[in-house]
Amino acid sequence: MRTRGTRGLTFRALAVGLAASAALTACGVAGASGSSVATKDKLIIGVYADQPGLGRLSGSTYQGFDIEIAKQIAKFMHVKTVEFKTITADNREGKLQKGEVDLVVGSYSITPDRKTKVSFAGPYYVAHQSILVRASDAAQVTDVHHLAGRRVCRVKKSVSFPRVQKERGVPVVPVDATGYNDCLTKLVAKQLDAVSTDDLILAGLYAENAREGGPALKLVKTSFSDEPYGVGIKQGDVDGCEAVNKAITQMYQQNIPGRLLQVQFGSSDLDFTWTVPQFEGCE
Amino acid sequence: MTAVQRQGGASPAPVPAPQAGPPAPSGGVRPGLADVRARAAATPPRKGLRRAVPSTNSGRIRAFVAGVVVVLVALLLLAWNGVDDARTGVRVIDTAGPQVIATGDLYFRLTDMDAQLAHALLVGDGPAHKDDRQQAIDRYTDSRSRADEALIQAARLARDSTERQTARSLLDALGRYEQFAGQALLQDQNGPVHSPGQASTQVTKLYRSATDLMKLELLPQAYNLTLDNGTIVRHTYEDKRSAVLTGRTIVVVTGLVLLVLLAGFQWSMARRFRRLLNLPLALTTVAVVVVVAWTAAMLGSEAASLSKAKTDGFDSILALARARAIGNSAQADQTRYLLDPERGDTYEQVFQSKSQTVLYLPADNLAGYQDSVRALKTLKTGPKDHPILGFLGAEGHRPSSDAKALGAVLRGFQRFQANDRQMRDLAKVKQTGAAIALQTGQAATDYAAYDDSLVKLAAVHQTTFDKAMKDGKGGTQGWQYALPIAGLVVVLLLVVGVRPRLAEYR
Repeated sequence: MRTRGTRGLTFRALAVGLAASAALTACGVAGASGSSVATKDKLIIGVYADQPGLGRLSGSTYQGFDIEIAKQIAKFMHVKTVEFKTITADNREGKLQKGEVDLVVGSYSITPDRKTKVSFAGPYYVAHQSILVRASDAAQVTDVHHLAGRRVCRVKKSVSFPRVQKERGVPVVPVDATGYNDCLTKLVAKQLDAVSTDDLILAGLYAENAREGGPALKLVKTSFSDEPYGVGIKQGDVDGCEAVNKAITQMYQQNIPGRLLQVQFGSSDLDFTWTVPQFEGCE
Repeated sequence: MTAVQRQGGASPAPVPAPQAGPPAPSGGVRPGLADVRARAAATPPRKGLRRAVPSTNSGRIRAFVAGVVVVLVALLLLAWNGVDDARTGVRVIDTAGPQVIATGDLYFRLTDMDAQLAHALLVGDGPAHKDDRQQAIDRYTDSRSRADEALIQAARLARDSTERQTARSLLDALGRYEQFAGQALLQDQNGPVHSPGQASTQVTKLYRSATDLMKLELLPQAYNLTLDNGTIVRHTYEDKRSAVLTGRTIVVVTGLVLLVLLAGFQWSMARRFRRLLNLPLALTTVAVVVVVAWTAAMLGSEAASLSKAKTDGFDSILALARARAIGNSAQADQTRYLLDPERGDTYEQVFQSKSQTVLYLPADNLAGYQDSVRALKTLKTGPKDHPILGFLGAEGHRPSSDAKALGAVLRGFQRFQANDRQMRDLAKVKQTGAAIALQTGQAATDYAAYDDSLVKLAAVHQTTFDKAMKDGKGGTQGWQYALPIAGLVVVLLLVVGVRPRLAEYR
């Protein structure tokens, strides 16, 4: 049987070799796209559940500017199904890294530190730090320096308070609160004099207060920082990041974010930016 | 070769075939042939695929030759494909790379227009500053025409309607910007002569409209368009480099198949014709080994050239171009800080944020940041260290980065930040005149030197890029001739090897 064995072996080797080549080619093609969000039909998007105006869960539906932006991004990416999941400031990086959420849209400021853990598409909006005071104080507070000696809300882990105290060097009196909703409660109850953080968050608080018939407040038109709100994405998904950026560009070319801002925050008399922000870049 | 020695005595496998019988031997019966014929008569006809396997010597030889030629042609086509991928990769990166870098210049020119406009309005039109103002206006005009050029280039690279719309929108915004700028300059000129830093409220208002337009519309879209353009290079690089490497593996695998086939052929010939070595066939094998090894080595070095051009060349050049543009815009924020003190806080904060984009060191405020910058010894970090963040930190983390050029950049950046501290300290104690003199004098000179050091560092990477592209082009030179010739040589050797054997059956 040796003769046939030899020849059989040769033919088999040929067959195996060609099959292997074919398999390698297939790998080369498939490996390029992988599990990028750019190619998914369904996206799981992490959002906040407790930020008035931006991302809030009421009943079983999420509402707010971030939610609408997330829906628009998915629409322009031609995604069929979108599922929202609640995230918090503590767990958003972990959830992205573990793949529990595909994207995070939740007033997520792009910082060099965070960029070492996750990638960012966008920003989809650049918020500015501003000040919310009771209307009766509005005449005295037109600038961050006018906060000197006043009681200002401090939320743990938020960079807003240190920006006033350390970065701008204004001698303010800190009053601790558990979150910005708590700040609003305390501002209304006169337990503190001012809340200073991103203008969109303040505009959300402003609208909330107006809805609930609280005392008159004033959103001071001052901006002393740029907070680029990015779309968090798993580190290294460059194709996905580019696809999100393209979606954001198209969204702005149709003026959608400006209109969404008007709907959510128009009552606060805030100045919005209607044009696309400068992206961070995906690499 | 033990099989060959034992062949005579061993009972050979029954390998007859119902059809494709041997050509009737015209003269005499050779040993072995009679056996085959006898077996052919004795064994029942085979079914299925086995029917296709030739059973006679000449049939087997022809089948082997056909097999070898088919695999050889496949090998050459695959090699050709690999070479073609490498060439396309090199060609696209060689043309698109510099174009992308040219569009990156758009951002720099736009920030420079706004910086020069602020400078001209800041120094005013007093007789002592006439030259300074004129120089700023000239540089504004120059940057404007270069921005136009870069914008046209960027528009040409736009690949879809979204990118084209961005380019159109940029053109439109640039027109509006120039209108504001012209009005501000005219208003300033027609108003009363003022000393530095004393532009009228109306002029400051017009400048605000211009600079807001620049910051909110022009710069973001220009930057995004450059990012879009940059993806062409990245996609080509990733696709082609992986195609070249896959091509190399496929060539090697196909080459091995061919070698196995040739070895089997040798063995079979040796057994049937009782010759230990068929020299031409052995040479064919050697030729195949040479072609495969050579092609694989060439494809490997092409992939390495692409990688070098992209990561050590293009990426660095682009990152440094961005560092330069953002630095220039931060320098303009210093001028704006002096021109429009009402917005001083904002301009100071964005100065810090832009500085941190260029070189990130964590800090509570600008003064703390500047202390950290002053204390920094080197930008260079080892492969296992945590990189310093920001454009310059990333540059320092590249294994290929030039330590001397990096050192010059760091010293320049430190002077830039030290001057900034001094300028702000002066402005805070209301010594505006001295602050402006510093900003438009020594600080401007120092900044130009820092900018120049960035250009020099980029030039090092440009050399790397050019050399890698040259290697990439040289690596595939002549392959359109070499591959067919190699194929012909292999086929010729094969024919020389089998012809005498086949002749025995005529």
